[in-house]
Amino acid sequence: MMYGTNRARNQKAETSYRGYQRSNAGPLNYQTKVRITDRYKVIGFISSGTYGRVYKATGRQGQTGEFAIKKFKPDKEGEAVVNYTGISQSAVREMALCSELRNHANVIRLIEIILEDKCIFMVFEYAEHDLLQIIHHHTQTPRHPIAPGTIKSIMYQLLQGVQYLHTNWVLHRDLKPANIMVTSSGEVKIGDLGLARVFKQPIHNLYMGDKVVVTIWYRAPELLLGSKHYTTAIDLWAVGCIFAELLSLRPIFKGEEAKMDSKKTVPFQKHQMQKIVDVMGLPTRERWPLLASMPEYSQLSTLQPPLLSTNTSHSHGGHHPYGHRSQQQPPASQNTHGNLQKWYHQTTVSTPLTSLGAEGYKLLASLLEYDPEKRLTAADALVHPFFTSPTSTPLASLNSNTANSTSQGTGAAAVNWSPTNCFEGLKNETYPCRRVSQDDNDIGFGTGTGNQSGSRVNTAAAGTGTGLVMGQAQSQVQAMGGSLGNIGGHGHGHGHGQMGGGGMGQGMGGLGQGHGGMAQMAGMKRMHDAAAAAAAAAAVAAQQSHPNKRMKGSQG
Amino acid sequence: MAANYWESTQRKHWLFTKDELAAMRAKLESDDPGLVSSFPLPQLRHLNIYFNQQSPTYLGFTLEINRLGKRMGLRQQALATAQVYIKRFYTRVEIRRTNPHHVLVTALYLACKMEECPQHIRLMANEARGFWPTDFQSQTEVARIGECEFYLISEMSSHLIVHSPYRTLTSLQGELGLAQEDVNLAWSVINDHYMTDLPLLHPPHVIALTAILLALVLRQDPSGRLPGTAASASGLVAASAALAQAQAQAQARAAMMAGGGQTVPGLAPQSSSGLQAMLPPQSPAGEGPADGNKNPRMAKVHRFAAWLSDSNIDIEAMVDCTQELISFYECHEQYNDKNTREQINRFVKARGLDK
Repeated sequence: MMYGTNRARNQKAETSYRGYQRSNAGPLNYQTKVRITDRYKVIGFISSGTYGRVYKATGRQGQTGEFAIKKFKPDKEGEAVVNYTGISQSAVREMALCSELRNHANVIRLIEIILEDKCIFMVFEYAEHDLLQIIHHHTQTPRHPIAPGTIKSIMYQLLQGVQYLHTNWVLHRDLKPANIMVTSSGEVKIGDLGLARVFKQPIHNLYMGDKVVVTIWYRAPELLLGSKHYTTAIDLWAVGCIFAELLSLRPIFKGEEAKMDSKKTVPFQKHQMQKIVDVMGLPTRERWPLLASMPEYSQLSTLQPPLLSTNTSHSHGGHHPYGHRSQQQPPASQNTHGNLQKWYHQTTVSTPLTSLGAEGYKLLASLLEYDPEKRLTAADALVHPFFTSPTSTPLASLNSNTANSTSQGTGAAAVNWSPTNCFEGLKNETYPCRRVSQDDNDIGFGTGTGNQSGSRVNTAAAGTGTGLVMGQAQSQVQAMGGSLGNIGGHGHGHGHGQMGGGGMGQGMGGLGQGHGGMAQMAGMKRMHDAAAAAAAAAAVAAQQSHPNKRMKGSQG
Repeated sequence: MAANYWESTQRKHWLFTKDELAAMRAKLESDDPGLVSSFPLPQLRHLNIYFNQQSPTYLGFTLEINRLGKRMGLRQQALATAQVYIKRFYTRVEIRRTNPHHVLVTALYLACKMEECPQHIRLMANEARGFWPTDFQSQTEVARIGECEFYLISEMSSHLIVHSPYRTLTSLQGELGLAQEDVNLAWSVINDHYMTDLPLLHPPHVIALTAILLALVLRQDPSGRLPGTAASASGLVAASAALAQAQAQAQARAAMMAGGGQTVPGLAPQSSSGLQAMLPPQSPAGEGPADGNKNPRMAKVHRFAAWLSDSNIDIEAMVDCTQELISFYECHEQYNDKNTREQINRFVKARGLDK
């Protein structure tokens, strides 16, 4: 991966793709040059989903380390190859994006892609854990919170990965614990770019492409309210939800998804929105100026205000669940956070998590900000005091008149954490390895014999809800060839989502120009020589005048 | 379109020098000299013109059915990406070993998915059959496209994200104060560059800037302050072009000499006058009746020149782009659609690639 100043010469591809060759027999028989089973030895089966299956493997040809091989199956189960409908859009996206985004420690790295018969094998670096599995481990008896340093490190690395995606104009759109991998050395890696897509300007109605994105528990309020012009902020909401889940070991907004009706219209997710309101209070136009322009704005009136917080949040002298209520009001955002502060207090009190202090609450509140324009960006979050300040401020001081760490007598100690290893310093915690089943090691399938492996049910992996890697069953869009209204399957274990996928998408619209005919160039023809010479001359002149100035053009 | 160009697969794997490109193509041909000599083909640019002209007609028809026909921006993006796919593919595979119509349809199908305007494979296949009945005659064309899709992705090493110059153009429109007509013309130049090797030779921003330069220079219209008059654009363009030609040539020669090492006072050293060299002096005829102010279009070119000279843009590359484009427009004159089609059909039929 060299990013020299010179142009790459294409001499050395990073991956060895195995192409197809026409056989002499006829034009239709493309022969795979190298088979997946020649290059990799499958150790076991990890998980399956609507897209296909994931296997753990080692290299047969000297590759070091372990690998996760994601196999996209060519067809829906049981359908004949005759009905082959092309590579799904999510597979195309994932192949394309993973090929570009290979240069960040916190995004799962693609090793190579092998196309064989009608299957696509995407080979990734292997990650021993994922956040879902880690959370699950902590709910086992005795239920015990994740170490504060681990949470801090996970959040930091996750945000680094998200920032990398966003600076590369990629929205992930499906961040959730199951999609966040963790290696045995504590590196956090964002996985499953199957729903990710590019949003580069103009941010133009991404809604048309995939009507529903993000598994429901992690879905941002603007999406729930029907916004069609969503932004990177939707990923940050999901990060906030993940943060909360790392703290409490439960999804913070565990709503039930309303199913699409037969007309394929997207229903208002009232239950999910109510779950958010229960903790965050009702969104207001003061806090979120564009709220009233949300398509589902009128639906807000059908929701119940949160039980405890509506009054207190507007009467500053009211009872406060803990601590002192400040006379001097904290930033305006304080009032409408409903019960979040209470939630945070109850979650962290009397546990090691108190050491995350007030900054932890503030970061959480800024990620779970209703207004997407005010919501923290990944870059902002990375320089939040939660990460940058050497010691944490006790939570109680948040509302204290004398807000300083000594006044409470509970000055929080610094949390030790590493920005690159979320397991650093852990002594009494051993996370179980990913479950790998031996039931199905049959990754490939012989030409013409059909795929037997896909139909097997693997109880070992499916039953636990853990051990899923790279996007489990839930909610993978199978937008086969862009057919309208495909519904993704349900997940198991944790989280379920339903995606209407791949409708007649409208991507980024450009300018409205059509193909310019040659006619427009009529004048140009006559100017060939002059223009060429002039351009050359101008160019030389421009170059001479400022030979060393920095290129300021933006590359689009 | 996506991600970051500077770290893109496009920059790292799909930009070549002309020599590299020639060597790759020579290697493909030398693998089977008999095949090449049996089936002569028009020059590459003419093949590109063929692909370029077939694609929009075909795709336009397809998209219309999907009521997407109006969304020209989107359509253009997918078309552009498809043409780059075809170019990349044929740097790796000898064209005579393929059915170009299969490749064309598949590239469009894949590009539509990549550019987020997916079309159903069956629809693509049906349209293709209507368009090239002999190449898509059987009921297996869906499988054929599906298979070809693998072939395409495989040869392109799964590098599917293509950065196009259109985005640079639109993002610079405001900064450079380009009028809509400038943008339209530059847009057309970008459309046309897909019929050349330029997408494999230069980064998209260089191509976009070249297109802007050409648009600004070519639209230099002394009568520009009478827009919308019945004197049609083409007449004005032709007139001004002829005018500019004579004047620019002389000055360009001088400027080129200056570029050759000697400084001509008053020309290159002025920081914001990079493009002065190519500007015709105000012609009396072009001044018009007004107060003799500078032609506003000239100011625009000057501004662009200043902007360019402040950038560390690869000027050499822009020169090369300009020359490629100019030579392409000349070569376009000799394009013979019928001949190209026949030569393609000949090897397709003879080799049974349509079965």
